[in-house]
Amino acid sequence: MPFARPTIRIGVTGLARAGKTAMLTSMAANLLALGAGLPALPALSQRLQGRGIRVSVAPAGADPIPRFDYPAHLAALAADPPRWPARTDAVSLLALDVEIGRAGLAAALPPTAFRLELVDYPGEWLLDLPLLEQGFPTWSAAALARLQGLEIAAPFLGFVQGMPAQAAADETLAATGHALYRALLTRLRDECGLALLQPGRFLMPPPGPAPPWMAFFPLPGRSRLASLLADRYDRYRDSARRELRAPGFGRIDRLVVLADVLGALHAGPAAFADAAAALDAAARALRWSNVAVPAWLAQLVPALGGIRRVAFAAAKSDHVAERQRANLKSLVARLTQTQARGPTAAFALASVRCTEDIVWQLEGHPISAVRGRLIGADRLARSYPGEVPSDPPDAGFWTHPFLSLPDFEPLRLPLGGRGGVPHIRLDELLVFLLEDLLP
Amino acid sequence: MSETRTRPRLEIETQLAPRLEPVPVVLEAPPSTGPGTLTLLGGGVAILVLGLAALGVGNFVAAQFERAAPLGWLTAAVAVAGFGLIAAAIRRELRGLLALRTVDRLRADLADPARARAAARMWVESLSEGATLLPALAAIQDRDATLALLRAGPIATLRARADALGRTAALQIFAVTAAIPWPAFDGLLVAWRGIRLVREVAELHGMRPGLLGTLGLLRRTALSAAGVVATDLAADTLARAALSNPLLQHVAGDVAGAGVAARRMVVLARATALACSPV
Repeated sequence: MPFARPTIRIGVTGLARAGKTAMLTSMAANLLALGAGLPALPALSQRLQGRGIRVSVAPAGADPIPRFDYPAHLAALAADPPRWPARTDAVSLLALDVEIGRAGLAAALPPTAFRLELVDYPGEWLLDLPLLEQGFPTWSAAALARLQGLEIAAPFLGFVQGMPAQAAADETLAATGHALYRALLTRLRDECGLALLQPGRFLMPPPGPAPPWMAFFPLPGRSRLASLLADRYDRYRDSARRELRAPGFGRIDRLVVLADVLGALHAGPAAFADAAAALDAAARALRWSNVAVPAWLAQLVPALGGIRRVAFAAAKSDHVAERQRANLKSLVARLTQTQARGPTAAFALASVRCTEDIVWQLEGHPISAVRGRLIGADRLARSYPGEVPSDPPDAGFWTHPFLSLPDFEPLRLPLGGRGGVPHIRLDELLVFLLEDLLP
Repeated sequence: MSETRTRPRLEIETQLAPRLEPVPVVLEAPPSTGPGTLTLLGGGVAILVLGLAALGVGNFVAAQFERAAPLGWLTAAVAVAGFGLIAAAIRRELRGLLALRTVDRLRADLADPARARAAARMWVESLSEGATLLPALAAIQDRDATLALLRAGPIATLRARADALGRTAALQIFAVTAAIPWPAFDGLLVAWRGIRLVREVAELHGMRPGLLGTLGLLRRTALSAAGVVATDLAADTLARAALSNPLLQHVAGDVAGAGVAARRMVVLARATALACSPV
């Protein structure tokens, strides 16, 4: 009776280049290795207390969401030389069937069975959630305020400031402003490494042709053009709201929000503040997701409760040594403090481990650092990118540089990937996400 | 504070290096629920055999004294010698078992930031070539740096020596199973050599396990073997290096199973080293 088993859907989302695809691949490979009796997830093994676990890839069935191409992504990581999986372009899903044996007198009963669905959800779309509670004038003012002072934004800001106070609701003006704004968002992401870029669907459009109401941009004032853009903005919000109930997001009941915090520390105070604001926006948006269902009803009927557990995780923590990972975890926890409806937790993890910890004598002192093999160089590199602060950094922190993260290649995958993917603390993340399902 | 910070840096090593391997994972044994049925049964049988034998011998010695005092003393001396050897064997077994517990204690201490440095120092001092590492250990205040230093130093050396023992065992297994005309003996030979290899690697780590100690070690090795096999640890490369002799390669064409058994010796050596290692 494969369809009788309950379904648990874990969404993995995150800001750009955080490593969502690598995390889903690693989760699936390590769960499958655990099911084969290999010690791929020690914390989960310990939590199971000797109970048997079987994991298999479930058939795609009739689900409308595209299938996550797990074999191709794992093959890329296991190849020699390895390759990183290609970046996500749309929602995709991988389903695993999990069976956990019982212990004691209940051992004769059938195992606990559930279907675990892992959803690759673009992080850009997550940043649209805060828009649901903002009107067009508020959003326009906030978006334009963030662009002030950025040289790269000069063409768009010039267009907005040059707009007459009584601009007509002209389609050409709307299309031109939209094209300029969209190009600006793309450049801010690719060239400046910024993350809090709204609307997210401008950067990661949903599949299919773009509807006409997508052509809007932030514009202050009460002109007819502003009214037209406000109408389109409202249609956009309606669409995003519908998306919350759609198969891609609506059934997600556990969520992992990934962020490249180390990359933001390197990019400088502006980029870090931007990433922190994006994480904060996501955290606050998730607090009221599915607010239509009262909390008491959500507790009684979990299926109605929307997202029940949220994990905020700093990715690529293998690029700093063990002691610094504790600071990184504290930093993420500080950045995502929120009164969430369900349990939340912060992690510093690496879905695909690339380095080993070393002690490096620097300036006469032994320093905890890491060592990895550079992609394409066939040589090892020692890296000490700098001190990771445990709290949001102050001005003094930025007086010293925080180096960019080298492009290390993944460690060799045990048994060509069948033995799992080397990781850091992914097992603890899975224990948190599945805690209520484990014995 | 910012003035005293070490400047970040990235340094590329000049030599070409192979792809890095993951560190194997050691699974913790599930918590013990007290002695098992077999242990209770074995304990009862041992007490009955030894206890009744002691009573029988006591009666026999008393009877000998009644016959003649010199005969009684001689019988008593034989009895004391015999039971003394049994007691020495039991003491050795218990010491072997306690040595295994020491590894657990060391692991627990090294996992605790407050006790890690002292535990690392104590373990390094117990190693024959540990003195050279003590100054570096004294300079490190950080637990993670301490563990990294141990992994790079004594653990790597012990692992290399365990590999060498595994290669030697692999060569012996390969040569002997190829030469023995009775295939039925192959399994026995591999089992005997495997147990010997486990004891050799344990002695390399400062343990001298007896029968019970070896059994306990085999149980731990089975747990760590899962980690070693999962990580693969270039055992193929090691086995190929061990079997690179042209004559053996020629013989390998005739004895397919010998190559598999030899490869398992290499994995067994690694798994045992992992079971005996505190880090």
